[in-house]
Amino acid sequence: MKIINRRQFLYCTALILSTPASSRAFGSSDGKKGDIPGSDDNAGDIRGKIFKGDAPDKPWKWSHEGFLYTKLSDRKVVCGICPHRCVLSPGDRSVCRSKINYNGILYSISYGNPCSINVDPIEKKPLFHFKPQTKSFSLAAAGCNFRCLNCQNWEISQAKPGEIRQSELFPEDVIKAALKSGSESISCTYSEPISYFEYMIDIARLAKEKGLSNLWISNGYINKEPLIELCRYMDGANVNLKAFSDSIYRKLNGGRLEPVLNTFKMLNDKGVHFEMTNLVVPGYVDDPEMVKRMCGWILANLGPDHPLHFLRFFPQYKLDRLPPTPVSTLENFRSLAIKEGIRYAYVGNVPNHEGMNTYCHNCKKLLIERKGYLMPAYNLSGNKCNFCNTVIPGVWENRKIKT
Amino acid sequence: MFNILKRQSSSPILLVVVATGISSVVTQLLTIREFLAQFQGNEFVIALILFSWLIQGGIGTYLSQLFSKIIAPTSNMLAWLSLIIAGLPTFQIILIRELRDVLFIHGSSVGFYQTFAFIFLTTTPYALLIGFVLPYSLFVLRTSSPNYPGSNIYMTDNLGDIAGGALFSFFLVYFFSPLKSLLISNLLLLAATYYLFKYSGIRRAFSILCTALIMAVLVLGIVFEEKTLSPPEGRLAYYNESKYGRIEIHQDREQYTLIGDGIPIFSNQNTSIAEETIHYPLSQLSDPRHILVISSEGNIMEELEKYHPESIDYVELDPDLSDVLFRFGLIKKIRGLNVINQDGRAYLANSDKIYDAIILNLPEPETYQINRLYTDSFYAIVKKHLSPAGILSFSMEGYDNYLAEPQRQKISSVYNTLSRHFKNVLLLPGQNIYFLASQSSLKTDIPDSLNRKGISTSYVSSYYYGNLTDDRINQLKELIDKFAPINTDIYPQLMRIMFMQWFAKFSTSPFLFIIILTALSLIYLVRITKEEFVLFSTGCMAMGTEILIIFAFQIFYGYIYLKIGLIITIFLAGLLPGAWIGSRYGSNKKTSLVITDAILILLTGILIMAFKQADYEIPLSAFLLYGFIVSMTCGYQFPTALKLIGDSNPAVTKLFSADLIGAAAGTLLISVAVIPYFGIIWAAAGLIGLKIISLVIMATKS
Repeated sequence: MKIINRRQFLYCTALILSTPASSRAFGSSDGKKGDIPGSDDNAGDIRGKIFKGDAPDKPWKWSHEGFLYTKLSDRKVVCGICPHRCVLSPGDRSVCRSKINYNGILYSISYGNPCSINVDPIEKKPLFHFKPQTKSFSLAAAGCNFRCLNCQNWEISQAKPGEIRQSELFPEDVIKAALKSGSESISCTYSEPISYFEYMIDIARLAKEKGLSNLWISNGYINKEPLIELCRYMDGANVNLKAFSDSIYRKLNGGRLEPVLNTFKMLNDKGVHFEMTNLVVPGYVDDPEMVKRMCGWILANLGPDHPLHFLRFFPQYKLDRLPPTPVSTLENFRSLAIKEGIRYAYVGNVPNHEGMNTYCHNCKKLLIERKGYLMPAYNLSGNKCNFCNTVIPGVWENRKIKT
Repeated sequence: MFNILKRQSSSPILLVVVATGISSVVTQLLTIREFLAQFQGNEFVIALILFSWLIQGGIGTYLSQLFSKIIAPTSNMLAWLSLIIAGLPTFQIILIRELRDVLFIHGSSVGFYQTFAFIFLTTTPYALLIGFVLPYSLFVLRTSSPNYPGSNIYMTDNLGDIAGGALFSFFLVYFFSPLKSLLISNLLLLAATYYLFKYSGIRRAFSILCTALIMAVLVLGIVFEEKTLSPPEGRLAYYNESKYGRIEIHQDREQYTLIGDGIPIFSNQNTSIAEETIHYPLSQLSDPRHILVISSEGNIMEELEKYHPESIDYVELDPDLSDVLFRFGLIKKIRGLNVINQDGRAYLANSDKIYDAIILNLPEPETYQINRLYTDSFYAIVKKHLSPAGILSFSMEGYDNYLAEPQRQKISSVYNTLSRHFKNVLLLPGQNIYFLASQSSLKTDIPDSLNRKGISTSYVSSYYYGNLTDDRINQLKELIDKFAPINTDIYPQLMRIMFMQWFAKFSTSPFLFIIILTALSLIYLVRITKEEFVLFSTGCMAMGTEILIIFAFQIFYGYIYLKIGLIITIFLAGLLPGAWIGSRYGSNKKTSLVITDAILILLTGILIMAFKQADYEIPLSAFLLYGFIVSMTCGYQFPTALKLIGDSNPAVTKLFSADLIGAAAGTLLISVAVIPYFGIIWAAAGLIGLKIISLVIMATKS
């Protein structure tokens, strides 16, 4: 064996010490097996990559064959659920962490094992035009096809099924639990429901049968075919429109804008009630010109009736070195959106702000006053304004609201 | 020793060495502060900076030896290098600020490997040069005086280090911004370089021009200093470098946000957190009269005012911080408010006042300084200051819908630690998890309690029932691990958990780093001579003990900036007389090394006994005396080892490197590995173990 001298040793030390660091430093922040370096944290594009050879040895109890995928040669498969269209060799795991290729078959491995279950007020989603003051049975399984730096639920969205605590709750059990909780709807939320599409769609089918509403809280990064199937059962959705900029989508979220816009068009075409959420991240998404363009696109493609929520950003997860959004920025955006022609624009994450109230787009009178989850004033009869009888877009029930 | 500067032929060079020492220590301290402001302010980052710096210094030292073999050392070259050293720190600080947003996404935090690589890359030029010039100065001196003792350079460098440490800790940090401090601390180096140019026979006009050019760089740095800190969103409304860290106020439209060391702390639009902070605890009390608030949250005074308390003692360590909070309306001056600028724990330890509520607004326990406010002993002190039905309240980072494992351990550890002192501990989940602790029973229906008191709120009254359902509260309670470790002063378990949480957030692990480092360390340790090993272990011991002493001091006395600066200076100062004695006396060199190793073992044993038995009784003078003796003993070993292996150029570089690499290892091991995982006692025991190996090697090997 050749013995190195001290000088060579020191050169090697410097080289080796800087190598692991630099190779990881400006590439992937995810040091886990299979995540290809360069995928997560370089300054321009944080889109996730496939986890090579990271699948469990075999499918487990909570596995379910993929809803939509194509088989290729060499037992490779292409997942058809989201625009990532992950091409997985046997043993690979998808970008969303929830799909694996086992022996040439695509499996979803988060079927029936949610990691978070709560009963939330529907306004928390936020859904302001859908059965107000009802409870929604909310659940999530691990995984997400995005890599948002400001994710509120990164503990589950950026985790693999099996890595975190989970409960067993197959679709029929979900329905039972939802009914028992007195909820009127089931929300697939918190992480990204697209990553557990197979579970979500089976829950939705059963829920529909039992008269429960299905809600989808999502980033909207989904392909056309699964979305069409989902629209058959979906009653309401809140979909994030994170920015009206493809480069910001790539930089902060690890996705692309176009597929999300297509999702909105499809939801609109299929007549699903949906609301849009725009988180106003200072320095990135707080450009009034961008908001104008966004409103222009919404009006041209979706019409003026879909509620648009401008949410206040707070430092979160990895995006924790930015200040919160000033409240007046949200107020300006709301005014701007209304001026452009959006009928229902809201301010969110600001307690008891006037911008949380609903005003009739025709007579401009106060329809719903919101104080957090409480409603001191409610001036709708069914879906009509009490003052001018105008039909207010949304899913309203003809029942007494506690004021 | 003190006439070394007077020697005619060597004085320009020695002056450069002293000036470089001053510049390097000030630059190192400012670089640490800069990295803390640009990256995570945890102990890991501090250790990485020191580690990188020392390792690169060690490599620079070796390169110096190599370079000198190829090209004969000259005072001319030394002058050019010194000139570069005088200008580089300004570049380095600006590079750190500007490059961060080029390499990483603006506004985002970065993980371990990214931070390490960034530190390594941005500090390399300066740290390598600093390591290079010290032995190079000796080689230059030896071109005219071949027997010039290496220990003289070591001592002269120490002199510069002491001066630099004292200059920064007792003067610059109080009055000057980083780039102004760099200008001041490099003035002597510029003058010394000019003197050396003259001594080397460089044309006067040319040397004036070059020196002026570097001076211009230093001045330009000051001109553009605030511009390098301006946020892309909004404007920099206020900026100050207090002795405790960087304070900025960013203004974006009507919103003012306090930024502490680069992290947004709170803004003036902070209703929900202000309400949770105040009403969760105070709604539990029938009539809160005396309230203690340690550190602050935006808008809390308006909420406190609703209870009409008699007195509110607001303890804030940094007077600059409390001043700026009032000035920008982030907190309001209300009736009964008394501002106390002191360390929170030190205040409680020395006060007799009893409070109805003690509300802590603390950062997460990522550093030893903050961890002291989450320990068993601290909660015992707090309990003594609470009235029978009094309440302690604080919050930690929470979660929306899922409590991740490291965080579960953290919350459980704090819960178990609190439960040792309080009969009732209530956890309220949310974006922040609130801990309420009292001897009396605690209610979960906060809006109802507020309603009964006639106190109106905008967030709690309208969101609480949707966000804090009984299910959510019970879920969190059930997730508490009853076996999670108790967090104590001398065994800071929370720090270990915080490190785990940091790594989990970035889905990474230090495993690869540890493996590589361990392998390289083993190769290095196998290859070095016994004298090098002694100095390696001494470097390790000096840094390790310094960390232990500062840590212990903080536990006993709180964070007292001036006194900690004094401890660091004493540690630097002890090296000089030690080295002087070592260079003058000690004919039996091997025995001297064995004896001093034994002394170091004994001293560390005394430290362990002090940790085990002391009950806030160790006076500052004892800390200082102890630090001085340890550092003097360490200083003694350098010239002694040098004499033992022959004072040749290669020998000097080997020992310089061993000392630096040992110091790097000591920093990393003690602060981020041993103390959080094994506790302070075992950290000290580990240092003893290392020195015993050193002693055995010296005593047995021929």
